[in-house]
This record gives sequence, C-alpha cells and structure tokens, in this order.
Amino acid sequence: MTADDTGLRELRASVREFLEAKSPEEAVRKLMESEPRFDPAVWAQAADQLRLPGLVIPEEYGGDGFGLVELGVVLEEMGRALLCAPFFATVVLAAQALLASGDREACARHLPGIAAGGTTAALAVTEDSGSWDPALISARAVPDGDGGWKLTGRKSFVIDGTTADLVLVVARTVAGPSLFAVEREASGLAAEPMETLDATRAMARLTFDAVPATLVGSDGAGGRTMAKVLDVASVALAAEQSGGARRCLEMSTEHALTRHQFGRPIGAFQAVKHKCADMLVQVELAEAASLEAARLADEGSAEFPVAAAVAHACCSRAYMFAAMENIQVHGGIGFTWEHPAHLYFRRAKSSQLLFGGPAVYNERLLDRLGI
Amino acid sequence: MADDMQDFAAEARAFLDAHAPKAPDRTAPVWGEGDDSMAYFSSLPPEAERQHVQRARDWQRVRHENGFGWITGPTEYGGRGLTPVHDLVYDAVESEYDVADTGVLSVIGLGMIGPTILAHAQPPIKERWLPAMYRGDAVACQLFSEPGAGSDLASVATKAVREGDSWVLNGQKVWTSVAQHSQIGLALTRTNPDAPKHRGITAFLVPMDVPGVEVRPLRQMTGGADFNEVFLTDVRIPDDHRLGEVDGGWTVALTTLMNERATVGSEGAGPVAAALSPDHLSALMRATWTWDDRALRARLAELLTDALATEYLNSRALRGLRAGGTPGPERSVSKLMYGQNLTRAAHFVSDVLGPRIIADTGQWGTYAWSELLLATPALRILGGTEEIMKNILAERVLGLPKEVRS
Ligand SMILES: Cc1cc2nc3c(=O)[nH]c(=O)nc-3n(C[C@H](O)[C@H](O)[C@H](O)COP(=O)(O)OP(=O)(O)OC[C@H]3O[C@@H](n4cnc5c(N)ncnc54)[C@H](O)[C@@H]3O)c2cc1C
Repeated sequence: MTADDTGLRELRASVREFLEAKSPEEAVRKLMESEPRFDPAVWAQAADQLRLPGLVIPEEYGGDGFGLVELGVVLEEMGRALLCAPFFATVVLAAQALLASGDREACARHLPGIAAGGTTAALAVTEDSGSWDPALISARAVPDGDGGWKLTGRKSFVIDGTTADLVLVVARTVAGPSLFAVEREASGLAAEPMETLDATRAMARLTFDAVPATLVGSDGAGGRTMAKVLDVASVALAAEQSGGARRCLEMSTEHALTRHQFGRPIGAFQAVKHKCADMLVQVELAEAASLEAARLADEGSAEFPVAAAVAHACCSRAYMFAAMENIQVHGGIGFTWEHPAHLYFRRAKSSQLLFGGPAVYNERLLDRLGI
Repeated sequence: MADDMQDFAAEARAFLDAHAPKAPDRTAPVWGEGDDSMAYFSSLPPEAERQHVQRARDWQRVRHENGFGWITGPTEYGGRGLTPVHDLVYDAVESEYDVADTGVLSVIGLGMIGPTILAHAQPPIKERWLPAMYRGDAVACQLFSEPGAGSDLASVATKAVREGDSWVLNGQKVWTSVAQHSQIGLALTRTNPDAPKHRGITAFLVPMDVPGVEVRPLRQMTGGADFNEVFLTDVRIPDDHRLGEVDGGWTVALTTLMNERATVGSEGAGPVAAALSPDHLSALMRATWTWDDRALRARLAELLTDALATEYLNSRALRGLRAGGTPGPERSVSKLMYGQNLTRAAHFVSDVLGPRIIADTGQWGTYAWSELLLATPALRILGGTEEIMKNILAERVLGLPKEVRS
C-alpha cells in the first residue's frame, strides 16, 4: 500500500502532533535517565491511536502494509523529536529481520504481536567489535537434539536489549551465520545496559549461556538475511537522521534571527548566514537521498542497493554536520547541558557509527557500484 | 509518466532516430578508445571554432523545423506552446543521441535572454529576434557584468542617454561569454545616476553589428577565449530596443538571473558525466594502479555520494515539477553542488594521476583531465558566486536578515 502526497502529509501531521504532546524535550530528558528508557504508556498509545508499530508490517500479519516511504515520514518525525521508544529496534530491525528471513511461520508467530504493540523486539548481531559483518560473528548455536537449538556467546550494542520481549540473534552454526529467536524469559539469557554516548537510544550487552533458541529461516542463511535488513535499516536510519538534521537547521535559524550581538541579529553576519546555508544544502541533499532510496525500495527497483548506500552515507554526514554547526551557531548556550543541541550531537554521532561508520559505508557504496 | 508525455517522448525519439546517430556511452569507457577530451570550455582554434558554431546552428535549425526548437515557446513566435516538463523530457531523450553541442546558442541565448525578451521586449523586437534565435540564426549574449559590477550587478556604470527617439550607450562590459559569435546582446545600463542604484537601470537589446560595439577576446585561465570584453562607444539604439520601463531594468535583469540559475547545474552529458561516472573513475583507478589505495577509495566514495545525492535531488525536483509544483530551493542547491562536485572530482582525479597531470605523457585519458581541472574555478563564480548563492539560500529560503548594503 502506498499513501499519496496528501496521505503522507496527514501521516506526518498526526505523528508530529502526537510527538509534540508525548515526547517534548522534558519527557526525553526524563526518559534518558530512567529504566526502561521509554514510556510504556506512550508506546501503547502510539500503537492504539496511530498504529505505528504495524505501519510497515504486511496486512497478513496484522499490520497496515505500508512501505518505506511512509516509514520514512514517521522516522523523520521521530528523529526530530528524539523519541525514546522501542520503535527502531522492534519495527525496523527485528520485524524486518523476520520478514527478510522469509520464514512465514516465524512471521505468523511474532509479527502480529509486534504490529499490535504488545511485543517489543531487538536484533542482536554485533559483538564487541561493533561490526555488522556476519563473518565476524563468534556466538554459536548447536542443535539441542529435540529440534531446538542452544545458543552461547555474547552480543553488544543491542538496541533496547534489556527490555525487548523477543530477541532475534545471529549466531554461527556449522552451516554458517543463522538467525534465531530467543524469548526474553529464556533461561541462561542475561542483559545489562551499556553506558551510551546517545542516552536516548538504549543499548545492552546480552550474554547467552546455552539459551534455548528457535531457528528463523534456514540454517546458514543469516548472512543473506542481514544484508537485506541492513539496507532497509540504513534507509530507515537515514530518514531519522534527516529529520534530526532538519531540526538542527531550524534551531539554528531561529537562534540566528533572535540572538543580537553588535547591534544586529547574528544571522545578518555572513559567517553565520553561510553556516546556515551550508546546513540547508546538507539537509536538502539528505532528505532527497533518503526519500529516493525509500521510493526505489517500494518500487522494487534494482537501483535500491546503491541508493540505500548513498542515503546512509549522505544522511550520516548531513546530520553530523548540522549537529556540530548548530552548537557553533548557539555559542556558549549550545554547549550547556540544558540546551538540546548536545542531544542531537550525541544522536548524530552515534547514528553515524551505528552500522560501522564511514570506513564501512564508503566501501559498501563502492561495492554496490562495482568498484 | 503521463500518457501525453509518453507520446511526446516517442515523437522526440522518432525525430532523433531519423536525424542523429545514438551517442556512445562516455560513462563506461573502454580504456584508451575514443575521444578523451575533458574540456568544459571549448578552446578551439578560430576556424574550428567557427565550424563548431555552424554545427550548433545547423542542428538548432533541424530541431526547430521539426518542432523541438522551442518547446515551451508561444506558437506565435514559432514555439510549441508546451510545458517545461516536455522540455525536460526532450532533453533526456536527446542526451541518448550524438548531436551537435548547441551550448553556444542555448546556455545564455535560448536559456536566459530568450525568456527575458519574451517577457519584457516591445513587439517589433519580439517579432524580429525570437524566431531568429530559436531557429539558430541569432546568437545572443548577456552584457551584464562590468569591471566594477560583478556580484553587485546593480552598480553597473555603462551610461545610456536619451537623444530623441534613440539612446546613446557608453561603457565597458566584461567576461561576456559568446559575444564574439553574437548578433544581439542584452545590456544593463545606468540611465538615472540620482536614483537609488537598483532604480536607475534600463535594459536594452543591442545589435552587435551597430557602430561603436567592439568585442575583444579575453583569454581565460584555461588558455582559450570563450569570454570577452565588450566596449560600447557612442552606440546608438532606437527606443523600441528598450526592454521594460525606463529606469525599470532591474526587473528585467531579475528575469534573466532567475533563468540563469535554472540553467546552470542542469548539464548532464559529455565530460561532466564522465567526471562523475563511477565506471569512468574506477577504470581510471585501474589504469593507474591506484585501485586499492584506501585513502583514495574513501574520497571516491564521498565524491560519488555527493554526485548521486545531487542526482536524487534533481529527480525529486523534477517529480515535483511534473506533479504541477513550483521549483523549490533545489535549483540553487544543485547549482552549488554541481560546481563543488566537479571541483572535487577534478582534484580527486589529479591525485589519482599524480605527475601525469603536470605534464603530458601522451597516455590516453590522463593529461586530458587538466582541461577539466582548469575549468572548475569558473564553476564556483559564473552565474552567481558560491558566496552569493549562499546569501540567496540564507535570506530567501531561511529568512535570515539581509546583509547591510549601501
Ligand atoms: C566563465 C565565466 C563566464 C561568464 N560569463 C558572463 C556573461 O556571459 N555575461 C556576464 O554578464 N557575466 C559573465 N560572467 C561574470 C560573472 O557573472 C561574474 O564574474 C560573477 O557574478 C562574479 O562577479 P565578479 O567577477 O565581479 O566578482 P566579485 O563580485 O568582485 O567577487 C569577488 C569575490 O568576492 C565575493 N563577494 C562579492 N560580494 C560578496 C558578498 N556580498 N558576500 C560575500 N562575498 C562576496 C565573491 O563571492 C567573490 O569570491 C562570467 C564569468 C565567468 C567566470
């Protein structure tokens, strides 16, 4: 299903209105210091009133079956508001991993709960290196003799890993990297929160000590599944980044109009004006790159993998640039804890490096272009 | 694409099939084969230059005779009366064919001066020059910049004084592209030195063959001479050659400048396409054994990210236009990015080539890049410098305060 322009505008307006009410700065600041790092009541409302968890889940699994374009609109708004919620981990990472696995039974078991907002989920791929390369995974799974599996190893940087009801884990079997589902309550699973640069995105370290697990998709197919998930996830992240970058630009523009020095608004000084113009250029490129990638994905275009890599690189850079310059335009105020600028800076840096950072995404783009 | 666009594209294809061969793909080169020229500006010897201009005229005439010479123009002046989207569709189709480079006519004359004449000139001028321009008979130039008036265009000093039914012009214009080939030029002149500077300017169409117009080639840093100085000495122009009101020339200038900013940054073929083509650049890295240089690869990825994102920005703008929207800030952003992308590409390639760009070894596809390298500084200046474009974005899009101006 695809919404037309009016539909997208309405979606944006209702999500923005919701976030202005439920995720103002005070709420974000309170949540980033609490455990869990989201408000279950707000999450429930997002599900009941806006049906957000089910937005991109196919109708056969209880969702609304929209595409990445609609998801992008929602994530832009969440990125602007720095919403603390298990949306990215559940809807973008875990649900997309289930869908990408092609395992209809696993989808039928888990997706309806996710779509309804009752189940939150996490995807555990990275280990201490932070790499998303399935070849670098050392966690192992062995058959338990009863058709199930036992999983052993350690995962780091797992977004919302301490709170997720369902954890999808990539572990190595004899056949290669494979995807498994683990229930929160499973014996042998321990989760501890990690201290994070960006406190609005909770991360955990999970240890698995012979934890009972169910194979998702076929044994050894984890590498292929992850490649698909990473494309979708980096386009989704790109939308979140471009939303955050746009917010930084707006803050800077507002400040440049109101802050006076030397008898005039600082926005009248060209050094400041040009900073804002440079931010605008980056934001425009970021929005175009993320939107184009989402559109190509929804059209099933063969150009999608290149566009996904461009969106990830372009939006990572744009957000980091806008977040840095936003502080500069705000001067001393921008460096205070009280000002939200640092929250965006933290989110920007942590998002830029979430999937490996420039060294990784640059090579990924070249690879997609056959270079 | 809507049905009528598809029909239009098919019609364009039929026309082009009948009149031009398909273009070779310059973005995916076979190393060492074909033309390796990377010239952004033509730097041809006079006779070759004359033939180049003649080929442009000939092709424009063929286009015009077949209904593709002025797609958006009103039918009364030989246009087709279609939309800017049709224009873009035609350009996209034509880029697949090997046709004469018509830049000498189109970039300034048909792209900028034509729309200005249409909007502001008096009827006899429209009738006399519009059909001629779009048929390829007349080349037009933009006589705006002066030695003392570049970014601050409203401080033009070339004087125009009324004498009965005519005006007498005196002054000097500079950096005037294609003036050496032009039959007409659009000049901004000062008619009222006492009014605030934007209010004392009048625009005239100057036939370049009238007495007192002298065009002197101005050599540019590429070595060629695409632009010129134009001296106006007691040049007498009838009043019907005036565009817009007396002292109302700034409005006329704005029409031209708006069209200028829409034109620059929309070129997608030839050396420009090659300079930003992943296939071309990777072939170059292979040929120079720099394929696995990590630092260069990272820079290449950054360069291509920008080039592709700019492309996405343009296609988003195009989709918006097709859906009936008005152009947003995308145009100014792409103009800025266009100059920066090509500049970065030229410097990236220079670092890949190393010494091979400082002296010609005769090797195919290497020293040729010096042509693009030396052209790139112009792209950050012409049509509004980077600084001026940023002022426009900050003031008109973000609403920041205007600079303090005298
Ligand atoms: C290849 C080429 C072709 C051209 N063709 C034509 C043509 O056909 N017809 C024509 O009329 N003109 C033409 N031009 C002229 C061109 O429009 C001007 O060069 C340009 O507008 C800049 O003016 P300037 O050269 O006087 O530089 P200046 O205005 O003197 O600028 C010098 C420097 O000061 C900066 N600067 C100036 N004002 C400001 C400000 N307010 N804020 C910040 N920085 C500022 C500029 O950005 C620049 O970096 C051409 C130029 C080139 C290079």
